[in-house]
Amino acid sequence: MGKHFPWRRYGLLIIGATLTLALILLAALAPWLTPFSPYEINIPDRLQGPSAVHWLGTDELGRDTFTRTVYAGRISLMVGAVAVGIGIFGGILIGLTSAYFGGAYDMIFMRNMDMLYAFPAILLAIVIMAGLGTSMINAMIAIGIIFIPGFARLARATTQVVLRQQFVEAALTTGMSTRRLLFREILPNIATPLMVQGAIGFAYAVLIESALSFLGLGAQPPEPSWGEMINSGRGQMAQAPWLGIVPGAAIFLSVLGFNTLGDGLRDFFDPHLRD
Amino acid sequence: MIRFLAARLAAYVPTLFAISIILFLAIHVAPGSPAQVSLGINATPEAIERFEREHGLDRPLYEQYVSWLYEVLKGDFGESLQSGAPVGPELLSRLYVTLELAILAFIIANLIAVPLGCLAAYHHQRTVDNTFIFLATLMGSMPNFWLATLLILLLTVTLGWLPSGGYVPLGEAPLENLRLMIMPALSLGVVSSALLLRIMRTGMLEVFSSDYIRTAVAKGAGQRVVIWRHALRNALIPYLTVGGVEFSLLFGGVVIVENIFLLPGVGQLALIGITQRDYPYLLASVLLIAVVVLTANLIVDVLAAWLDPRVVRTAGGS
Repeated sequence: MGKHFPWRRYGLLIIGATLTLALILLAALAPWLTPFSPYEINIPDRLQGPSAVHWLGTDELGRDTFTRTVYAGRISLMVGAVAVGIGIFGGILIGLTSAYFGGAYDMIFMRNMDMLYAFPAILLAIVIMAGLGTSMINAMIAIGIIFIPGFARLARATTQVVLRQQFVEAALTTGMSTRRLLFREILPNIATPLMVQGAIGFAYAVLIESALSFLGLGAQPPEPSWGEMINSGRGQMAQAPWLGIVPGAAIFLSVLGFNTLGDGLRDFFDPHLRD
Repeated sequence: MIRFLAARLAAYVPTLFAISIILFLAIHVAPGSPAQVSLGINATPEAIERFEREHGLDRPLYEQYVSWLYEVLKGDFGESLQSGAPVGPELLSRLYVTLELAILAFIIANLIAVPLGCLAAYHHQRTVDNTFIFLATLMGSMPNFWLATLLILLLTVTLGWLPSGGYVPLGEAPLENLRLMIMPALSLGVVSSALLLRIMRTGMLEVFSSDYIRTAVAKGAGQRVVIWRHALRNALIPYLTVGGVEFSLLFGGVVIVENIFLLPGVGQLALIGITQRDYPYLLASVLLIAVVVLTANLIVDVLAAWLDPRVVRTAGGS
């Protein structure tokens, strides 16, 4: 089989897309996949092991672990979408214009971006959360802000390459407006690397969100979130090890999925980048 | 080289200033007040006002910033708003803990990354290579707090080999200290090794395809000599740069792991600073982490320039 099918080119893409699709389906179909509510407390059923009724057991308040895990997937996906959206939007705005205008404008913006970029993401998130206050929405904004420098650097570097191409010169000669040139002509040409970075951004967003929630700075109970679930599960580790294992495996598989999807997209669009 | 150094140093100090200003602003627009945390929810408005006057929190922001900065430049980080303890000595004792953790984790990361990366490159596109790359992807996708949870589950809950958390200074009981540090260092180090392994592999692959390695092989140098004497040395240059950045990321990432294993480090102090609205703690700990991160990056830049003079010509001049 390996002889005919180009696994080297499509392998990662297929694995990544499958994992990502599975995550999206589980999250989207959550209400139809489980008869339980992620919030409803049911003390008589607390800390039950995996069974036919509760596939992955129950937590210290008798809530079904599988149910809470799939519902938490919705939050993770939402955080990923909003954060990557903010990052791509801000990054394109800064990166494109920095590359195009150059000079002092470029220097001021990129120096600031470099400064932010050098700072450990989770620490930056914590500082921003300190300013905004702890909530899910603020976690999304904080993670989005953290993403801006990475996307800005990428957008700037790729735009600089595109700017040297002939069609830009041609567009300039026809008297095209700057805005049209930047967003209608150049933007489509830098979309591919941004998309690859976007998929990897999703992985980071899931990781940082769960880290913030683990520390109690993101999703607040009773909202189901993977990070928060692991944290509250730590107290029951001896009687109910699944409470720590299941949500962690969910994070792990999602991050793995998005990372592989990103690598797969890169292999697909630009096979030269792979060694 | 001197110009390059000067440019890097010139960027260092303003960056710290910028971080301190952003941090100060972020903290003071934050909802929730330290007075409320300290005095409880039943505090009278008068009591809150008195608390804020005593700690200078009623003054305009720029005034607070300038006086804070003035004290910091004199080496005084102020006092905790909640306990009244001086921040400086607390910070110093916590720095040792975090440094030890970060260094141990870094050693573990390199012990995994260097040999596996070399082996993967040596067996390029064969089973060993594919296995290690897959392993790196797995390790890199693992949240460190989940790995920590799994380690506790295995080594503490199931096997009972290691304590689940706590801290004793290295100087007092070295063996017990290591027993307490091994799980936190592993949870940080294993995750960090993923990127380093990839960089090591790519670096070795590049070197393997270069002319001087072909020459070395052609003149009959043994495999071991080629790998260890010629290839590894040259592959270490790009590795070093990423390694330095990885170390600073490790140092910044200690917050969660310290929190899990009850290690009294700088990261834990930052978290206390946020949850208890204890601004002097938060400011001091985040700034300290920033200093370590920036210094690590600076050392890496200089080292890279020293090892490979081309870096200075392309990056340093302007």
